[in-house]
Amino acid sequence: MNEFWEAKVALQWGTLKPSYDVVIIGGGGHGLATAYNLALRHGITNVAVLERSYIGGGNSGRNTTVIRSNYGKPEPVRFYQRSLELYRDLEAETERWMMHDERGLWWITHTEAGRRTEIARAEINRAFGADTRFAEPEEIEREIPGINMNPAGEFPVLGGSFHAGGATARHDRVVWALAEGAMRAGVDIIQGVEVTGLKVENNQIVGVETTQGSIATETVVSAVGGHATSVADMAGVRLPIRTHPLQAFVTNHYEGTFDAIVASIDLGFYVSQTARGEMLGGAHIDPQPSYSRRSDHHFISSIAKRITALFPFMGDLRVLRQWTGSCDMSPDYSPVMGRTPVDGFLITTGWGTWGFKAIPAGGEAMAELVATGTTPELIAPFSLDRFAKDRALADRGSSGTH
Amino acid sequence: MGGGARKVAPDPTSTNRCRTLGAVSDDTFDFAGRDITFAPGDSALLALTRHGIHPAGGGPLCFAGDCPNCLCTVDGISYVRACQTPAEVGVRIEPHPTNGEPPLPAWDTEAKTVAAIHRRADVVVIGGGESGQAARQQAADAGRIVELLDTNDGAEAIAVYPGPIVVARTADGMVNIECDDIVVATGAAEIQPIVPGSRLAGLWTPRAAAHVQAAGIDLGLTVAVGDVSDDAAATVVAPGELVRFEGEERLAAVITMVDGAEVRTEADNAIVGLGIHPRTGLARMANFMDVEVVGDAALEPTVPTCPSSGIACPCSNVTVEQLDDIYERGFTHMELLKRGTLAGTGTCQGSVCTPYLRSFLQDRGQELQPAFTFRPMAKQLTMNEIAAGSHLPALARTSLDSVHRDLGAQMDRMGGWWRPWTYGDTDAEYAAVRERVSLGDVSTLGKMILTGPDAEASLQRLFPTDVSTIKPGRSRYVLMLNERGYVMDDGMIAREHDGTFFLTFTSGGASMAEMWIRDWSASWGHDIRILNQTMSLGAINVTGPLAKELLERATDDDLPPFLGHCNITVAGVPCKVLRVSFTGELSFELHHPVDRSVELWTALMDLGADLGIQPHAIEALFRLRLEKGHIIVGIDTDYDSTPRRLQHEWAVNMKKGDFIGRTAIERTNRLALDKRLVGFRTEGRAPFEGAVVWSGSDYAGWVTSAAFSPTIGAGVALGWLEAVDGEFPASVTIDGLDAEIVSPHFYDPEGARPRA
Amino acid sequence: MPELLHTLPVTRIVTTAAALDGASVPEDALVLRTAPDEALVIHAEAADPDAITIDDAHAIVVADAGWSGGWIPTAAADTFLDGNCSWARPIDRPAFAQGMVAHLPVKLWFEAERTLFVVPHVSAHELTHRLREGGIA
Repeated sequence: MNEFWEAKVALQWGTLKPSYDVVIIGGGGHGLATAYNLALRHGITNVAVLERSYIGGGNSGRNTTVIRSNYGKPEPVRFYQRSLELYRDLEAETERWMMHDERGLWWITHTEAGRRTEIARAEINRAFGADTRFAEPEEIEREIPGINMNPAGEFPVLGGSFHAGGATARHDRVVWALAEGAMRAGVDIIQGVEVTGLKVENNQIVGVETTQGSIATETVVSAVGGHATSVADMAGVRLPIRTHPLQAFVTNHYEGTFDAIVASIDLGFYVSQTARGEMLGGAHIDPQPSYSRRSDHHFISSIAKRITALFPFMGDLRVLRQWTGSCDMSPDYSPVMGRTPVDGFLITTGWGTWGFKAIPAGGEAMAELVATGTTPELIAPFSLDRFAKDRALADRGSSGTH
Repeated sequence: MGGGARKVAPDPTSTNRCRTLGAVSDDTFDFAGRDITFAPGDSALLALTRHGIHPAGGGPLCFAGDCPNCLCTVDGISYVRACQTPAEVGVRIEPHPTNGEPPLPAWDTEAKTVAAIHRRADVVVIGGGESGQAARQQAADAGRIVELLDTNDGAEAIAVYPGPIVVARTADGMVNIECDDIVVATGAAEIQPIVPGSRLAGLWTPRAAAHVQAAGIDLGLTVAVGDVSDDAAATVVAPGELVRFEGEERLAAVITMVDGAEVRTEADNAIVGLGIHPRTGLARMANFMDVEVVGDAALEPTVPTCPSSGIACPCSNVTVEQLDDIYERGFTHMELLKRGTLAGTGTCQGSVCTPYLRSFLQDRGQELQPAFTFRPMAKQLTMNEIAAGSHLPALARTSLDSVHRDLGAQMDRMGGWWRPWTYGDTDAEYAAVRERVSLGDVSTLGKMILTGPDAEASLQRLFPTDVSTIKPGRSRYVLMLNERGYVMDDGMIAREHDGTFFLTFTSGGASMAEMWIRDWSASWGHDIRILNQTMSLGAINVTGPLAKELLERATDDDLPPFLGHCNITVAGVPCKVLRVSFTGELSFELHHPVDRSVELWTALMDLGADLGIQPHAIEALFRLRLEKGHIIVGIDTDYDSTPRRLQHEWAVNMKKGDFIGRTAIERTNRLALDKRLVGFRTEGRAPFEGAVVWSGSDYAGWVTSAAFSPTIGAGVALGWLEAVDGEFPASVTIDGLDAEIVSPHFYDPEGARPRA
Repeated sequence: MPELLHTLPVTRIVTTAAALDGASVPEDALVLRTAPDEALVIHAEAADPDAITIDDAHAIVVADAGWSGGWIPTAAADTFLDGNCSWARPIDRPAFAQGMVAHLPVKLWFEAERTLFVVPHVSAHELTHRLREGGIA
């Protein structure tokens, strides 16, 4: 019997009602976490989550499951650290196993500039509650098995940062546990329903049009991934988001003895072994914006070359599957959360390559905003109007690849 | 039903369940420490079968690469099917673990280079059966170049990618075929039984049974169940519907249901015919194009009887009971059923379980579900195989690269180039610049010629300086802004006497700058000519108080005034000399043809020997420019660095006409200033680069560049000072030091030295 | 081992497509038209911008030492390209093509008996290394 199957979660699907207090568009991690927090923290249960396909079928089920808070500015460090800490408790709170494993994350650098960046990262992380320190090459060689300290003679390992809080968890299980919790509290989660329009009257959201009929509501949260701009456009809201493909792959299953999560900034990849024993890897977003979810040959060939340069032993692993997700990128490589110019229309988007790690804190904050009408301090810096106010959160160096 | 299976009498003399080895030679390979003999042409699985060995202990065998039931570790590579591994002398095969997973390769395993071959064809036909051969012939008759990939001929199609590119594995390496059309003739897989006991040894698909029998292997008391073809020979036909298999490890009996009653048929081996499932994986993977699917691959799949018990997914070891359980808990969507149990996510990519998952859901009232999205790869490759033909990203090397390496420099990867970080004594390199004369390799600077009728008009709209006032023979520092008014790059614009412009940009910035200029000029309809000379011109910075003295030894021509430039001959080499200073000392940039770089460098070093000349590398350069407060875009700037935040408003002329970023600057200048790049001075030592700037316990920015300055006698730093509650703090601490907020121009603030 | 790549005697031209159509270059020079309005002229001996006439007052016509190149016999070149060039090469001879080869920006001039590999000087070291790895001595 397969010990990794989901043995406990029970999903009770809702049926669509003609009106709700809150309608959440998108049954991915962020939409479900918002519903979960609305129901369990604020007692708001007259809530629908509308999912076009199946829950967790978008980027929540396509990411590479890394949880970290090693950002380069105070605001994101605080936000992601909150999320990292909420993840620590999520299994106990939901009584569901998520294969959460806090084992630390290595960001390896091969340049002098990279050394300075990682030293700086450790500093700002510690200042704002994230556990990160700089590691010299000797420690990296000692702690990361199978690492080649100077691939091709051209990528000498010159150091890196070790983010002790770095963790992984099984993406699907996070989605299901949150969905189950919300459902039990009375939230209606409906799969196979597509939003076709948003009704706005006097600059106030009044309803949602769907393939299963109209819904009256005064609060809509768009937690859409991939097509966030299209949905916002239905309310007449323009988002500064471009969607890029991000590709990843897994190998077959092997005994789980490679404990490190490793990213090489200059070689442009990251790799970790999952609880199930697969080696899981990915790289940067594709440079060209696209909604395509096709995997290509150049990606897999190139990343295999780069990974086996740093980890020659991985050359004998057999790749099982590659896939592609859609990353919503904002101009400053940071998420966009909160109000929009249309009253009652809230967004949580711009989740780029860092959406999974933000699920608990994003859901917590968006629910608080809906429930109290006040933007929580933790997410205020991520508001949509920051671009007009020239208060962008430039942190490209920390967006990383996962 | 038993179909038309031949009946043969069992061999009464044999004691082996697989009674005949067939004709084998003395050659052997190693299986779990045993020497296995084999016949020429055998697969490893066929040879093992001759010896009565099931490599996985049990499970139906297909001999066609469809199922995961003969997985082994072959010469250290796990997840390899024995049926697709040729039996060869010296091969070492280990069985796949029955509990748990195979170990990772040893940490010290070395990467192996696999050859790649790129080819081009009009049509690729995947599959060499009858329909594939017919498709090949048809295309060939039409005069098209056809490539046929047939696993039996050693060309195994792995994946179809956008291009389209078909990737195949061959004995010679990986073959990547770019093509116009693809014909999928992959045939059909045989559906395997999912019933209790289906993990026993002694179960065969009809084709597998025919294959081993044709190799001379006697399967003994062989029971046919279901629809078994003429090719496989059975002793007995079990009547009715299959219910389960019985036995301890090996099959002992087949249980079928006839008219509501179980019938037990004793068996050594069973041939189980449950229909076929087209192999559509590659066709589905190619869903971005029209692929032609022919032969059995185009058949409608058989929907098998919904299983009630047994292992539904042998790869992930998922039972039918687990499917039932999770379905009852709401995992009713086919994708949730898959993700919840992990059925279909293993090595065989759902080949065995997909038919059953479909029948499982159909049995519960759902429409017949389409098969899963099929992602690469159809057959697995090692990372070494995948990396075939790929190279690591290469850095550019300046024309002085060998000079730096000969000097023992520590080379660093920087902005797409190899650059010397230090020659070993950065303090001495620094001192040579401040006190005497030094050479630096600045060949990595972006360099560009811009001319044409609209050249000046383009530059006026591209840059925030008034280009019209740059006189021939003069140059000016410029910022390159984006539409949001943020600094993307900086550099120099020099106007030649013939009206053309010579532009320089930061290292690594040339390609972006070229695209930026081309795109905007094209959108404005401007008639310009651009030549990017970054790769064609080397550049040597001659810097230090004795720079002029050195150059006067090397040329009879006049040197340019500060911010002037001219084309002269230096040490016999034609040079464009720009007098511009980054180090803070008297400096001349010598741009010259790359094939003369070593000659020029060597001549200057010789001429300057008695002046105490010594080259300086990047680490020293960074300190030198830091003392001057010269920013480096990308180090001291951020994504949102406006000229105002950088305190570079002097480089923006708001009195001229429109330029990129102007509207944004007008708008953002009306907002309160929230941060600015300032100088910090500390006593005793410098803070480290990246250190947080604290105003009491409030975050107030961070240090972008820092060093201890022997000339100033203090730590000097550039960094961001952020407003706290709307006010810029007057005193801050950094890295445990009290830091004074000062002008970033620590050294020679009047700029007298470069003008000397 | 002999050097595989040498600095080529090149004149670089940037002009308009029409002017380039009508340009006159020395007969013994090889012209690689890298874009409709750009060309690399590889001279037989030394780079000689003055030997080129173009009807465009704004044309950029300059000697350019930034290109390295080497002739490789057809069989060896084809073997190397089979393994290192993922795009379809022209079939006609002579022919010009350019693109990524062995992950480097390479320009190729195919003749019946030999192929000219041209690469920016800054990538010459790497291309040499990769040619040698590919079995070209």
